[in-house]
Amino acid sequence: MNLLKYFFTTSLTIAALNGAAWAADLPRTTDHNYEAPVPGSYKLPIVKQAADGEVLNSEGRPLRLSELTHGRLTVLSFIYTRCAAAKACPMATGVLMQLHHLSAEDEALAKHMRLVSISFDPSTDTPDRMAAYSALADSSKPAAEWRFITTASQEKLRPITDAYGQAVDRKKNPQDPTGPLNHILRVFLIDRDGNIRNIYSSGTLDLRLVLADVKTLLAEQPQ
Amino acid sequence: MIARADETCSSPYLARIEGQEEFLYTWTLGVEGLGDGSDKLVTIDVKPGSSNYGKVIHTHSVRGRNEAHHGGFTDDRRQLWLSGLETSRIFIFDVHTDPSRPRYVKTIDNFEKITGGAAGPHGVYALPGRVLIPCLSNAKDHSGRTAIVEFNNEGDYLATHWLPTKDTAGITGAEFADGYCYDARVLPRKNVLLTSSFTGLKNYSRDFSDLAKDADAMKEFGSSLALWNFHTRQPKKVFQVLGAALEIRWAWGETHDYAFTATALTSKLWLCYLDENGEWQAKDVARIGPEGGVLPVDMSLSADDKTLFVDSFGDGKMRVFDVSNPHQPRQIYEKTIGRQLNMVSQSWDGKRLYFSSSLLAHWDKTGVDNEQFVRAYHWDGKELKPAFELDFTALKLGRPHHMLFGSTQVGG
Repeated sequence: MNLLKYFFTTSLTIAALNGAAWAADLPRTTDHNYEAPVPGSYKLPIVKQAADGEVLNSEGRPLRLSELTHGRLTVLSFIYTRCAAAKACPMATGVLMQLHHLSAEDEALAKHMRLVSISFDPSTDTPDRMAAYSALADSSKPAAEWRFITTASQEKLRPITDAYGQAVDRKKNPQDPTGPLNHILRVFLIDRDGNIRNIYSSGTLDLRLVLADVKTLLAEQPQ
Repeated sequence: MIARADETCSSPYLARIEGQEEFLYTWTLGVEGLGDGSDKLVTIDVKPGSSNYGKVIHTHSVRGRNEAHHGGFTDDRRQLWLSGLETSRIFIFDVHTDPSRPRYVKTIDNFEKITGGAAGPHGVYALPGRVLIPCLSNAKDHSGRTAIVEFNNEGDYLATHWLPTKDTAGITGAEFADGYCYDARVLPRKNVLLTSSFTGLKNYSRDFSDLAKDADAMKEFGSSLALWNFHTRQPKKVFQVLGAALEIRWAWGETHDYAFTATALTSKLWLCYLDENGEWQAKDVARIGPEGGVLPVDMSLSADDKTLFVDSFGDGKMRVFDVSNPHQPRQIYEKTIGRQLNMVSQSWDGKRLYFSSSLLAHWDKTGVDNEQFVRAYHWDGKELKPAFELDFTALKLGRPHHMLFGSTQVGG
């Protein structure tokens, strides 16, 4: 499974994160070669309301997506587990993994942040598969909650992807080595009230930016 | 995924065309007394082998003239937003359901009010889940004092960021900040946004020959480039760039930290670059055309960053520069495309270029010089060879302006 190879590499990156709780302490990369912004030095306007929908958790239990987009600062990532495009789903999951690891060292993140990985490939990403995927969330220390979600069918999924603007199409070649689906990379930052405050794609999905944004929202007065 | 098509000037956040471009969406200004006289979205078939290759296959009139100018896609490439410089209206089309027949969705017709007074939306630049719209003017005095504005992909207003002026605190080069805008482009790798500067509604809606005689009005043209922290939307540095810098083109190479722009009134090619000390600088690097100026307008940088195609409205020529060394551009080719010339769209593989003629309704030439066309060429690295041309006057369509690529094959 290509994912295991990718996440092994990510684990080494995580080892380098130990002790780095501040965005500015985190290393630059060639894709993100700039100084991280200072949390709270800028504003994040409300982009739109995070949509609700019928989803399944990794035990197959139905719940409302709104239960996972309210009450905490939520980093919500649309993925599918068959994706092997380096700068798509594996990268997004890698960033969530890094956030999860950092939260194990940061009480505020552990208490106030939630991570959600939601699949747009329900035919393959069944609750059991998402449960297996959730092994990524293992932590020896209390960390931010990380939920792995899917839907019962395309009919349940479609209103959610439409509302979030998560474009998904089938590739012409279903045997494409990077996965059978074309999709935009989308990760959402959602505030406690269920408002989307930022949207990240491959060009902007920098752990340091996400972390700075989370901390910017943490510093906001509760509504 | 192989990207052979897609325009090199596209937003880096934009979903890419796979294979070759199939449609050329051309935002066209209406002309009174010509056809229906209204602005319209014209779709041209550019799919090789198509029985309709080089022909208009669909039009959608928006009924009225708005000074149709530029537009852009949402990042998923499912919508095409097209703006009017005089009315500040933005027309939104669905280009996903049937890319060969864009479907009108809605109009944003309260732009000036909802943005706090920004006017003249100039471009539409895809960002994740939203669009960035650089403007040219403001509703209060119609000068060049203006803003960049954000909307989400659903067409809801998000934020207004006014361009810095001399009074803006905390920026280097504030003394050069004129508050004007034109283009806005991002280099994600360095988290920077670069904006250029043109002029306001009271100038661009005025007959050019009349304007050129008005010395006071001619002083109200932009003279700056502004560099911003893109993530925080905060301007950081302003460069003095005399003569109205227009289109901005960031290089694509992973270590190529520079962008080109050209000044319309002084016919200079400028380079904004990261120096060896990690500081952003700007300098002029070449003259475009002979002394006296040729009004350079649109430009396109090849995907390998080696070749820059620069259009000039004044003499209708397209000039090709070797910019392998961006600090020392060297002209290697030129060709007269028409009696007037504005926009150029280049395919990612550099083999196809499309040109259009119109600049602004009140600035376009008159009489026999007022050719209105879309002309397509093949480029083999040495010369342009004609592919097809469309006479927009003979077709009773109007003044063609911005061209954008469409396709039924869109990747991630």
